[in-house]
Amino acid sequence: MTSSPRPRSTRPQARRGFLAGALSLPAVASLASCASGIATSSAAEGLTLLTYDDIDAANLLREQLTAFEDKTGLSTTLDTVPGSGAAQFPDKLRTRILGGNAPDIWRIWGGQIAQPFVDADLTIDLEKYYDSYAWDAVLSGSGVEGMTFHGEKHGAPLNVASLGAWCNARIFEEAGVSAPPVTYDELESANDTILEYGVTPAGFGGKYGWHIMRLFEFLLEVTAGPELHDALLLGEANWDQQAVVEAFDLFLTWDSRGWITEGALGVAPADAEQSFVQGTSAYTISGPWIETQYIAPSGQPREEFSTFLLPTGHDDVRHSGFIEGLMISTTCGNPDDAAALIDHILRPETQAALQNTQSATLEAAPDPEEFPLSAQWAQIREESAIYTIQDQAFPKAVADSYFALQSDVLQGNSAPSQAARDMQQIVADWRDSQ
Amino acid sequence: MSTETLDRPRSNRRTLTPLLFAAPALVIYLGFLVWPALQALWISLTDWDGLSDDNSFVGLDNYLAMLDDNVVGIAAVNNILWSVVTIVLPMALGLLLAVVLNRKSRTSPVLRTIFYAPAVLPLVAVASIWAWLYDPTDGAINTVLGAVGLDFLEQSWLGQDSTAIWAVMIAAVWVRTGFPMLLYLAALQSIPDEQYEAASMDGANRWQQFTRITFPSLKDTHYIVLALSLIESFKVFDLVYAMTYGGPGYSTQVMGTWMYANVFQYFNAGYGTAIAVVITIVAIAAGVPYVRSQVRNS
Repeated sequence: MTSSPRPRSTRPQARRGFLAGALSLPAVASLASCASGIATSSAAEGLTLLTYDDIDAANLLREQLTAFEDKTGLSTTLDTVPGSGAAQFPDKLRTRILGGNAPDIWRIWGGQIAQPFVDADLTIDLEKYYDSYAWDAVLSGSGVEGMTFHGEKHGAPLNVASLGAWCNARIFEEAGVSAPPVTYDELESANDTILEYGVTPAGFGGKYGWHIMRLFEFLLEVTAGPELHDALLLGEANWDQQAVVEAFDLFLTWDSRGWITEGALGVAPADAEQSFVQGTSAYTISGPWIETQYIAPSGQPREEFSTFLLPTGHDDVRHSGFIEGLMISTTCGNPDDAAALIDHILRPETQAALQNTQSATLEAAPDPEEFPLSAQWAQIREESAIYTIQDQAFPKAVADSYFALQSDVLQGNSAPSQAARDMQQIVADWRDSQ
Repeated sequence: MSTETLDRPRSNRRTLTPLLFAAPALVIYLGFLVWPALQALWISLTDWDGLSDDNSFVGLDNYLAMLDDNVVGIAAVNNILWSVVTIVLPMALGLLLAVVLNRKSRTSPVLRTIFYAPAVLPLVAVASIWAWLYDPTDGAINTVLGAVGLDFLEQSWLGQDSTAIWAVMIAAVWVRTGFPMLLYLAALQSIPDEQYEAASMDGANRWQQFTRITFPSLKDTHYIVLALSLIESFKVFDLVYAMTYGGPGYSTQVMGTWMYANVFQYFNAGYGTAIAVVITIVAIAAGVPYVRSQVRNS
């Protein structure tokens, strides 16, 4: 009889043991997956693409991904983080990579924004795909250069975006500015005329720093000229000099004379960027995406808008530009398939279907019938060289310090000469840390 | 068979059974809280960039570097300001609203819902609402000021160092008043009416009833609200990030946003994690009296 209690007590123990084991296993497994770091995708999972397209653009891209699936039999998944911008998207990408859920392909800005991912060996060299798909011949040279890091092509350019003045032509006309300014002095006069008419000339939003930076970099191009501006961005020239001080002076002038959005530092870029479409400002500095993003949806006639190159007063009138491209993760289990998908996306017919008005694909110029303003800008930009947009020229920490200086100058917390000295210190520290 | 040998398995079972029941929670706790916390502590002692496989042990360098970081100074001051303002005002307003809305009236339930509503909104939505209200040209606040002849008070509320952090704190007070109001309302229900009736018969006026009966009776609730608000205030991130992104310049940076910037944006994961460790230590220190009181009470 002594043996009878044993089975009764063993069974619950076993059940409890199984229960405890079953419950703890998932936790242990999840821990193990964390500890194992970045996972590699397999063929069965298909290809994952991470972008920052808005809903409309993502829908167009999904149609193209479906076409790719029909053609190749490969499955694809599109994840998008719309509206996050260069200030936030890299964080999200980084978090996803560290979480062991790296996308196979991701879209990203070039320069110092993509650089850390290359330096951390998270992207593959696409040289062999450049050869097999002849991307060198069909993609913009400056685009390819913007996706080249340490001499290796770690991305395929998707966009060669360039920035000019996008304006409400009706306001210009009603204010009495009959033609786009062709000298810097004419631009200042136009600002005064538009302000007298009762409209804020230029719409800028200072939240995040990058939008109002477009004004400062233009002013620096005016005061420093192409050669010195490039040297400053590379940290090869001293920022503590007259041209930089003059640029900060002009920056202050634009604000104090009411040529930019009132209280611009607290305004969101998205609000400021579309203010010329709404008629609360006359123009902004932006790229051709403005036409599809704001002008077309507004329903207003395209003839009421225009675009022009900002006059710098130099023989070589340059404009700001940046590159966006597609990269393949080192964790991608099928880089050949990923490259095939990139090639599909970069084809002229796909780019046209995506309504990309700033494509890096040479044969994908914007359709003048459908996108007259983008086509107009495409012609303008052909005659003008690009300087690197400043938030791609500097690492984010340096760029944020730079934005803080611009903010201090506009608020009167720092004199232009002090800001120039401080910027030299910031750049020198950055160069020393490299 | 001796009594000792018969009792041993039963005794072992008594020890094992509660452990087995606690095991799932314990595993989750260790796996998802203790282990990451220990990992974070280790990362804070390295120069890890947050992306690559390489890192080196740098000892306390990251902690010492915080002493030379001007932004840490700004963030610490902002955190202290934030803690004082967003604890004192919501507590005071919450108590006031609770006392007023504790009366039996047909409008009380509706008003309670209205005043509590901001507390259930996602903070990003709250940030968007207030950012629009503060818009310097089209925002409701400047528009109303202009309409009532106070246009000299119109400001770029989020666009200047002097007002930005205060403007965000007002949004925080708006969203955080509902929670203490709810706790105070619950506590007020437990004060017996007889006390007020007796005080009334003794000639005590409303203010005297409040200071002598209501306020002291809410002692435990004050403590809970204060402790939870204090811990919450050290973790501030969402509202600041969404409304000002730490700007203009660095003027609205708090420890949470500066930690995030370093870990996720500047590729200084070691340094950023050191900031996170400091935030955690301060929050724990603030929470210790509360936990001790709870243990004592139980």
